Amino acid sequence: MTAIRIGRRGLLGSALALPFIRGAAAQGSEAYVLGTLFPLSGPNGEYGTVFTAGAQLALQHIEQDRMLKRPIRLQAEDTQALPQQAVVGMNKLVNVDHANWVLVGFTAVSKAVAPIGDRSKTIMVNGGAVGPDLSGLSPYFWNVIPLAHLETRALLPYLVGQKGVKRIALVYVDDPLGDAILGILRDELPKAGGQLVGSFSVPRTAQQFGPVAARVRQVRPDAVYIASFGAQQSQIIKGLRDNGVSQLLCSYSAMNLDSVRNLPESNGLIFTGQKMDFEGGDELTRRFAQDFQKAHGKAPTIYNANYYNGTRLFALLAQEIEKANGQVTGDSLRETLLRIRKFPLVGGIGEFDEHGNMMAAIEVKEFRDGQAHHLAG
Amino acid sequence: MDPMLVLQLLLGGLQNGALYALTAAGFALIFGATKVFHVAHGAAFTLAGYVFIYAWNAGWHAAIGVAAALAVAVLFGIGMERFVYRPIQRHEGSFFTVFVAAFGVSIVVQNLVGMVAGRGFASVDSSLSQGVEVLPELFLAPVFWVAIGTAILLFVALTLFLSRTHAGVALRALAQNPDLLRAYGLSSSRLSILAFALGSALVAPPAVLMAMTIGLNEAIGNHVMLLSMAATMVGGIGSLRGAAVAGVLLGVAESLVLLVLDTQWAEAASFLVLFGFILFRPTGLFGVVAAK
Repeated sequence: MTAIRIGRRGLLGSALALPFIRGAAAQGSEAYVLGTLFPLSGPNGEYGTVFTAGAQLALQHIEQDRMLKRPIRLQAEDTQALPQQAVVGMNKLVNVDHANWVLVGFTAVSKAVAPIGDRSKTIMVNGGAVGPDLSGLSPYFWNVIPLAHLETRALLPYLVGQKGVKRIALVYVDDPLGDAILGILRDELPKAGGQLVGSFSVPRTAQQFGPVAARVRQVRPDAVYIASFGAQQSQIIKGLRDNGVSQLLCSYSAMNLDSVRNLPESNGLIFTGQKMDFEGGDELTRRFAQDFQKAHGKAPTIYNANYYNGTRLFALLAQEIEKANGQVTGDSLRETLLRIRKFPLVGGIGEFDEHGNMMAAIEVKEFRDGQAHHLAG
Repeated sequence: MDPMLVLQLLLGGLQNGALYALTAAGFALIFGATKVFHVAHGAAFTLAGYVFIYAWNAGWHAAIGVAAALAVAVLFGIGMERFVYRPIQRHEGSFFTVFVAAFGVSIVVQNLVGMVAGRGFASVDSSLSQGVEVLPELFLAPVFWVAIGTAILLFVALTLFLSRTHAGVALRALAQNPDLLRAYGLSSSRLSILAFALGSALVAPPAVLMAMTIGLNEAIGNHVMLLSMAATMVGGIGSLRGAAVAGVLLGVAESLVLLVLDTQWAEAASFLVLFGFILFRPTGLFGVVAAK
């Protein structure tokens, strides 16, 4: 009887202990969770596709190179580029999926989720949003893209000095990004020798820009700066051009999308973005460009590279922590970033400042015949 | 106030208003005849627009593209009636169930369009949408005349159909007294299909023209639906004429508001007009007060 009782107890004990035993055994191979908070549907869905393609290629390379002891699982949440959805997604990533690293985009989304990541000490990496106040948003919020003030600092002297532009009108989306660009142009344009002659805010949902074009024509600008994103920026370009605005159009890195590049009305549009040489760069950059071309049948864009870098940065940091037999946490990742500072990334060595902002060179480009051509920088 | 700016905004508003009027009239026709709150009306618009863009990019003649867009919109409308609304109404047919089902279909269509056609902006490059300076500081594109002409033509045709044909009269009867209609031996289900076919057909021309003017994205149906609902309420629930007039009114309002307010308020103008009507004339322009 006793033997039977011990057997039952043993069996019961074993059954209860089983999940823990399995958990302990699996700890070495349990996947790191890489969360993404991108718009996968709605008028900004194109960005989600572009951002994700970069992250996925990085994951492939990380796996091929066996950089980490544990695999990485990609957990995507659709934000529709809206703060509310992003907060829901971030809460899920942090509390349910226990994400180690979250890739974000869009200024409003980044600002909405940063406090959640800050509280949970989850690293958030932005490779698409350029609102200047994203710098120093949280110790756990980093940027692998130069922010808007750096872009306009490169563009304005070129416009005023090389193109003879003095009067600029701004069409901007009513959103933290648009407001930030308005502030920058108000401050920086007079310093560069130009003048902001009109600013026209449009809601994120606006689709009709014929009436806005009529108002823009009234202020007689030499150039029109467009500060929007997604499908709306193409609609603004088309709306302005179709309604008699023939002046120079200019903008920032968000214009670097296929849908804008292929728009006939975008011909002559001048915009800024990171400087990256995909063909003549180092081996990592060439591998990225070649494999991207192979997988997607087209050359990568800066956004693809940024989210590749955002993902690769995690692998590089986690690799260092694994080597030191440490725990991969928000704090250990941050400590490693601040200790090393320089990392081999697509585009060359990426150097980070104390706020987690990657420094990068900016260039001025122009869309001509469906291609982006280098102008300056 | 610059008179040319006033004229520019007025003409731009009329062009948009004509397109809103057609879309809103389609919604009002369906709602008036069948009492189905067809939220997926915007999805018919999206499908029609994207089919036209596909046809255009494939090098088909524009007329074939328009016909294809029309066919897809009509088939979608009929499909919704047969396979979504009718089964629901057969069982319980509550407003909420119909609304959620239609809303769900809209989301499915939006995602399917995104998956097939790609997410982002899509348009057709046509000289019809390129404005030329017809007077100093007044730019007008040929599409203005196409939009106005199409809207007038279709409203005249629709009015004649509803007043001069048996099917049209029966549709009006369905809107007013479906029980009496059945007592006379007419099939309300066939008329319901006709209402969906006609109402959905009305979104094809604005979808085609908007693909040329403002371009499309897979989520544009939501915007179109909001405007259609606003126009239907402003015009008077169930009134086709009211929806058409209200569509033009909203288009003009969102354009002319820029004379006095910031560009930020263009879209809000439509809804300010709607709130104004809800507060001061809840029956809308041509609605009737129902006896309780």
